[in-house]
Amino acid sequence: MGEVPTRSIVRAGLLGGAGAIYVALVGLYTKFADLELVGEQITLGRVLIVAPAFVAAFAVTRPRVVAGVRRSVELRSGLAVGAVSALVGGAFFSVAIWFADWFGVDRIREVFVAVTEPLIDFLTFDKGVPAGLPILIGLCVVGGVVGGFARTAPVAIRRPATAGLLAVILFGLLQRIVPIVFVELGFEADWLYARGSGLTFLGGLVVFVIAAGANAAWNRDEGRSRERVRKSMQQAPAARLGLLVAILAILAILPLLLGTVISEVLGQVMIYVLLGLGLNIVVGYAGLLDLGYVAFFAFGAYTTGVLTGAFLNTTTGAATPALSADLNFFVAVWIVALLAAGVGLLIGAPVLRLRGDYLAIVTLGLGEIVSVITASKWAQPLIGGPQGMRGVTKAEVFGLNFQDNPQHFYYLALAFVLLAAFVSWRLSRSRIGRAWNAMREDEQVADAMGISTTKFKLLAFALGGAIGSLGGALFAVSIGSLTPASFEITVSITALAVVIIGGLGSIPGVVVGALVLLGLPGLLREFEEYRALIYGGALVAIMILRPQGLIPNVRRSRELAEEEVTQDAWATKAGAESEAVAAVLPGGSLGVEKEDLE
Amino acid sequence: MSDPEHLLELTDVAKHFGGLYALSGLTFHVDPGEIVSVIGPNGAGKSTMFNVVTGLYEPDDGDIRFRGANVVGLAPNQITKLGIARTFQTVHLFPNMTILENAMVGQHCRTKSGVVGSVFRLPGTRREEERIRTRARESLGFFGTRLAGYREEQPASALSYANRRRLEMARALATDPALVMLDEPTAGMNPRETLELRDHIVRMRDELGLTVLVIEHDMRVVKGVSDRVVALDYGRKIAEGTYDEVANDPQVIEAYLGTKAVG
Repeated sequence: MGEVPTRSIVRAGLLGGAGAIYVALVGLYTKFADLELVGEQITLGRVLIVAPAFVAAFAVTRPRVVAGVRRSVELRSGLAVGAVSALVGGAFFSVAIWFADWFGVDRIREVFVAVTEPLIDFLTFDKGVPAGLPILIGLCVVGGVVGGFARTAPVAIRRPATAGLLAVILFGLLQRIVPIVFVELGFEADWLYARGSGLTFLGGLVVFVIAAGANAAWNRDEGRSRERVRKSMQQAPAARLGLLVAILAILAILPLLLGTVISEVLGQVMIYVLLGLGLNIVVGYAGLLDLGYVAFFAFGAYTTGVLTGAFLNTTTGAATPALSADLNFFVAVWIVALLAAGVGLLIGAPVLRLRGDYLAIVTLGLGEIVSVITASKWAQPLIGGPQGMRGVTKAEVFGLNFQDNPQHFYYLALAFVLLAAFVSWRLSRSRIGRAWNAMREDEQVADAMGISTTKFKLLAFALGGAIGSLGGALFAVSIGSLTPASFEITVSITALAVVIIGGLGSIPGVVVGALVLLGLPGLLREFEEYRALIYGGALVAIMILRPQGLIPNVRRSRELAEEEVTQDAWATKAGAESEAVAAVLPGGSLGVEKEDLE
Repeated sequence: MSDPEHLLELTDVAKHFGGLYALSGLTFHVDPGEIVSVIGPNGAGKSTMFNVVTGLYEPDDGDIRFRGANVVGLAPNQITKLGIARTFQTVHLFPNMTILENAMVGQHCRTKSGVVGSVFRLPGTRREEERIRTRARESLGFFGTRLAGYREEQPASALSYANRRRLEMARALATDPALVMLDEPTAGMNPRETLELRDHIVRMRDELGLTVLVIEHDMRVVKGVSDRVVALDYGRKIAEGTYDEVANDPQVIEAYLGTKAVG
């Protein structure tokens, strides 16, 4: 244990304990006490007891730099350190529980509504205080040991083991989705999942082995075989095409496998993929931080309504908007995109001279203006004001109903997403993408090299706006009625979070970001009320642990690593200089010059 | 009074920042095919002159003509398109783009593919992209193998200091300019690299047919490359002529060394 300072161990333990107390106070334990992941004993609530100790142990056994040398902690001391920190944390947690019990649960509940008798019962395994507390501490210690193991065991073991563990938890959480897919595919699912609850023990074992095996295979020979696969993919267009076809085929049959509920979630995810792709052009490619992106979402949705013959909600029933058309959706949507590009120019023009923070603030204001307009009396004759609109087209075509049937809507959304992704991809690898890139890296120099920054900023706003408006149009079709409540600043924030979590400038990143931020909460309805907590937590965690995003754009990660490169360069230079001095001193000749490094 | 024979002509150009006169009444010209060096002590207004000519600053007074046309008030990108390319005193690359991409950006102003062409990869766009690539490789090739081969795909930030300077020049050459303006190209280079660069400046004129305006502190380089030398001090031209004329000009000596103490 000598490798890790005692202070750090105790501090990590206390932080872990505080984390557990926090989880208790926000009510996650009681909420998930009975959500069985594997068998009847391993519930999500119990995993959440172990989790803080795991995280604390994982963090405190990280490699440290001692006297300029980076040292990993050895396995044996890693396990011991994990256990001790978990012991401290578990003790801290126990003291808090004991205090709550002594002070009176009812008196605490006046402030923290989640603190109840069932919570105490759950945390003491129905044995009461203090008889149940040793069990709690013991469980924490298990978490700490596993956390220490996950950091200090040999790579070949710890990576697959961690992957397997995470896979088991994920599949346990997806207990209402995976069995449906199995049944749809014609497989028996009873051996995998217990009826109406989590994985069976056999199922858990199978998931663990498969996930661990896959991870081990993927990282075989320290990732060399993975690189080989990647290279051969890059060099063989046929393989790439095959992969693309396979992905498209899976996407095409997905709603049939998943049923209506999950298809509906996927439809909502894809609306945000569209928003993310549009915003990615503005923020990721051109580097213009736009916090008012909801403007395009609202514009797309309302314009679609107006152009396809929706009604205004009024106190007496319905009214036709002041401006109205009754176009087919598939005609209207292109007009919407075109008009939205125009709005992009309007929003872009006044902010051309602004950069960074200033641009963000102004776009935030512009977005708010649009939100306020949608809710205003002034806009009532046009788009219904506070009461909104209803009767947006169902966009029926070939007998598909995109409003009432989520599986059909999925296909409509998929088509738009593929279109937007294709456009983004082609643009990013063109003269235009290069110009955006140069502009993002150094606006003034890009200008001096012959790139009209005015033109390319406006182009980014226009294209980003057009794609975002498609998201709005889809949203309007999917729910059929529009009210201002759907067009608030949270849309801008969520879209930005999707882009950032996925990785700025990365198209697959946008898809993954939307899946994580909208798909998971949509699939795991239990988490619905903790959505804000998950967003916040995910954003903080990503920004600290993986600032380049989940699937980063190569160039962006370089930008973030730039600082280190500069530092390295400085360090190397300093080293070379001292060598030069050393070379000069013995011979006494000052004519010695540092050799050209090339 | 403007002479269409001159490639670049500054007449009574003034630029001040608050009360500081960075440039005042500056008049000089550059003829096609010349290599003109601009010298002067620190703060003499050399870089300000560059920034005024390339449109980063707008002059407060005076006239700047390139090929006889007034360029005052144009945006930097428009001036680049007219045929003036530049480098910066401190290296300004696009550090996270690859070396090839940096040079390809230079070709931007000579090409015109739009959104539709890029999205559908129309034949015209593809040919243009190929041309951009070829032209970018040519300008990288001007510096021999230093920026070529495997290095093309490396980020610019991975380059050594001297190579960053070279890449900045290659990027400027890739804009297909008539006039190249180099702002202290040898700053921070070792003597060997400086000598090599001196040859490159001469080759820019002799092989590429360019006109070069260069700010330089290293007098060996100034002597070696210049057809003409313009000396600035306090934003004014204090001398102009061949290297020997300028180097022996009492005002220039005074600007660099100060006056003899009197009494």
